[in-house]
Amino acid sequence: MTDDALDPLIHAPARLRILVTLAALNYADTLSFTRLQDMIELTPGNLITHLRKLEDAGYISSEKTGKGVASQTSVALTNRGRAALEAYTRALRDLLSGL
Amino acid sequence: MNEPSDTHEAESADEGGGLDPREAATIIEQTKTQARRQFALQSPLVAVLGAAVFLFGYGAVWWSMRDQHPYTGPAGWAIAVLYALVIVVSVVSSRVLRRATTGVSGRARRQRQAQGAALAAAYVGAYVFMGALRYLGVSYGIVYGVYAPTAPLIVVCAAGAAIAASREDWPGLGLGIAVIAVAAGSAYTGPVGAWGYTGLGCCLVLLGYAAGLVVWLRRP
Repeated sequence: MTDDALDPLIHAPARLRILVTLAALNYADTLSFTRLQDMIELTPGNLITHLRKLEDAGYISSEKTGKGVASQTSVALTNRGRAALEAYTRALRDLLSGL
Repeated sequence: MNEPSDTHEAESADEGGGLDPREAATIIEQTKTQARRQFALQSPLVAVLGAAVFLFGYGAVWWSMRDQHPYTGPAGWAIAVLYALVIVVSVVSSRVLRRATTGVSGRARRQRQAQGAALAAAYVGAYVFMGALRYLGVSYGIVYGVYAPTAPLIVVCAAGAAIAASREDWPGLGLGIAVIAVAAGSAYTGPVGAWGYTGLGCCLVLLGYAAGLVVWLRRP
């Protein structure tokens, strides 16, 4: 097994950290953009770029609540994203056990 | 999604093009541990402070009564020490809870609110019952010397243990059961002993819980 077996969308430090962090939440819970940024320690623009890629793939969902300056974005791992992360973790474990 | 002014900043080299699989495994482990600790409602610090409440707060009450014959109740200064320590721990606990839950919404928040209501009802109910005992003529020594330091703990910890079990929070379940055992057993020692033995016993239980929590929160 080679690195090619690893989902390239997940196999990136920042996105991997984003997905693992969101997976630590209870099912059906969401995490605010601000809190996620604090935990992942990325700049807002960088985080948005990675979140968009994950959302386009259906791995996360985002929801904007409130209006104007009080608006807040929350993100959550989707079922598809959870399954993709589990598949990535299994593939990584298989790859490492074969090394 | 929010649009800050630096949206178009160049992407970092963080595209994983050269991410070593071993490094990826390390990232997963570190991120999982970090997230678990940041989202955890349990805190070793709060547990240690709780142990101090039992040791010094309950201890002060016991100290003020240790030579009483007949039993007349704790000194005012001892009650003040106990309440002051309870307030300090409550403030620290609320800050820990706020830090852990900031930004987290959804089912977990609703569950916490419901669980908090259940614990508050248990706590209030225990003290209302205490008032009923005194109203019905049960002796001062039994009501304030035996029931007060033990029964509310038993009731609240029973509710807490059930909540912990439902969340598969095994350290929390163990804590609840241990405190129940200490409080129930201490009641047999009478109006003065109940404060002393409950205070010492619960202090040791909480210190053990704090140590176990450190290990539990760092598990892979």
